[in-house]
Amino acid sequence: MNSARPAVASYFDLSGRTIVITGGAGLLGLQHAEAIALAGGVPVLLDLAAADPRGRAGELAERCGRDAVGMTVDITSLADVQRACAELIASRRRIDGLINNAANNPKVEAGQKESWTRVENFPLDVWHADISVGLTGAFNCSRVFGAQMATQGAGVILNIASDLALISPDQRLYRKPGLSDDAQPVKPISYSVVKAGLVGMTRYLATYWAPMNVRVNALCPGGMFNGQPPDFVDRLTSLIPLGRMAALGEYRGAVVFMCSDASSYMTGAVISIDGGRTVW
Amino acid sequence: MVGLSAHQLFSLDGKTVLLTGATGFLGRTFGRAALENGATVIALSRPERLSRQVQEWRAEFGESRVRGYAVDMYDLPQLESVLGQIVDREGFVEVVVNNAHELGAKTGFNTPHGGLESATHDQWMRNLTAGVYWASVVVQRLGPAMKEHGRGSIVNIATMYGLVAPSPSLYTGTEFMNPPGYSAGKAALLAFTRYVASFWGPHGVRSNAIVPGPFSNTDGDSENAVGRDDPFLERLRERTCLRRIGAPNELVGALLFLASDASSFVTGQALVVDGGWTVT
Repeated sequence: MNSARPAVASYFDLSGRTIVITGGAGLLGLQHAEAIALAGGVPVLLDLAAADPRGRAGELAERCGRDAVGMTVDITSLADVQRACAELIASRRRIDGLINNAANNPKVEAGQKESWTRVENFPLDVWHADISVGLTGAFNCSRVFGAQMATQGAGVILNIASDLALISPDQRLYRKPGLSDDAQPVKPISYSVVKAGLVGMTRYLATYWAPMNVRVNALCPGGMFNGQPPDFVDRLTSLIPLGRMAALGEYRGAVVFMCSDASSYMTGAVISIDGGRTVW
Repeated sequence: MVGLSAHQLFSLDGKTVLLTGATGFLGRTFGRAALENGATVIALSRPERLSRQVQEWRAEFGESRVRGYAVDMYDLPQLESVLGQIVDREGFVEVVVNNAHELGAKTGFNTPHGGLESATHDQWMRNLTAGVYWASVVVQRLGPAMKEHGRGSIVNIATMYGLVAPSPSLYTGTEFMNPPGYSAGKAALLAFTRYVASFWGPHGVRSNAIVPGPFSNTDGDSENAVGRDDPFLERLRERTCLRRIGAPNELVGALLFLASDASSFVTGQALVVDGGWTVT
């Protein structure tokens, strides 16, 4: 066992690794990107122009004192993803990881009734848009960047699913006082479908690309505290053994673990980071 | 919030780790990994190899970083007494790694008499005792200090055979045998892991399991060793997605992740490190 060198630095080190993050300019995407950068890797933030991936990457690079790349890409367009991959290969020669993080998280728009998310009312165009970003986008990126990593003979894909890929939303969490049952807002069905779909994609691709040494795993994070109303937080945390929501940045350890050689024998794994919510 | 660099994130600096089965095939690597990453280690093992192991680690990491406690864990009064000493002398132990098991003829391994038709009561009890009861005793004794301090991480080493059954075809024509009590004991350990997560989560104590796939002992120094060119290994390799068995170092990432604050929102989980064995 003298060959064992389990020092932290070598196990979790991402030096020289280029890791693509979809939805990279969003709240959670930036956390993943910072984790990658601080472990020595180069995060590549893909996002829509409105999210300003280049600007966000520049700020991140300055804040961490590391390289970061931002690219304006619509992941629902295969051609756009192919273009991004070609540009990256031209500049960085290889791609070492992909984090499929992008998902629509529809908010109630001003003036709209809270009940628009209910199954009976759910607009078909929202359904299509959610599937398009969350699943088709993840498929496009896995297909293009995954094939590139398979050609290189190494790489990792990390799909960001959710605790709601494993359990149903408890709709009582989202209730608003003073509304009748059929007017209550709910967590949209598309969210559960997209996240459960990512878990299926994880397992499929894990066996598909295992011979080419591309590992594919999923994280199932629970809700992250981001200033939600106290009554919502109270209701949610009563469902969690650790008695709290995740803190901003509390998923960074898992991201570095799964993107680095520390998880070299893990593929097809689905890892919950939910404070124990799915345990009882 | 923990530090942001990979080194800080997964560090065990300042933490005391109790490790059972410290001189075994995986235990040696776990102990070294904890030491290399800053922990003080309390090593439990049968006496035969313990003093040499403790001396070796002390020489490398310093006298004060390693304490050895010799114990035959099947001698339950002796186990209780040793745990009592540890509680008295060591006080708060923040990380417990329940790793010990007996993998030999006495638990029905690799003997034609260990199977479903002929496993004895003694083999069953030894598997259930090692599989789940040892962990329960250790956790019961060390848990109160964890609850008092409001933090602690328990890492139980299970096996994929707590999730899926061994295939009889793996063993046909070989002298190898994986007994039913091992699967049952380790499945119980996974249930126990969740139970602790649920009941002690509110006290800040986390409880998780690592679920290794094929990590055959090819060191040839114990009863459960397999020859490096044994055709049985080829069967195991064939059965995984990654087409290889795991090396002990490939469990270190999972151990450091779960033991450290990098997994501060993870509890009740079974982290599968199996090269994709259970994904197909």
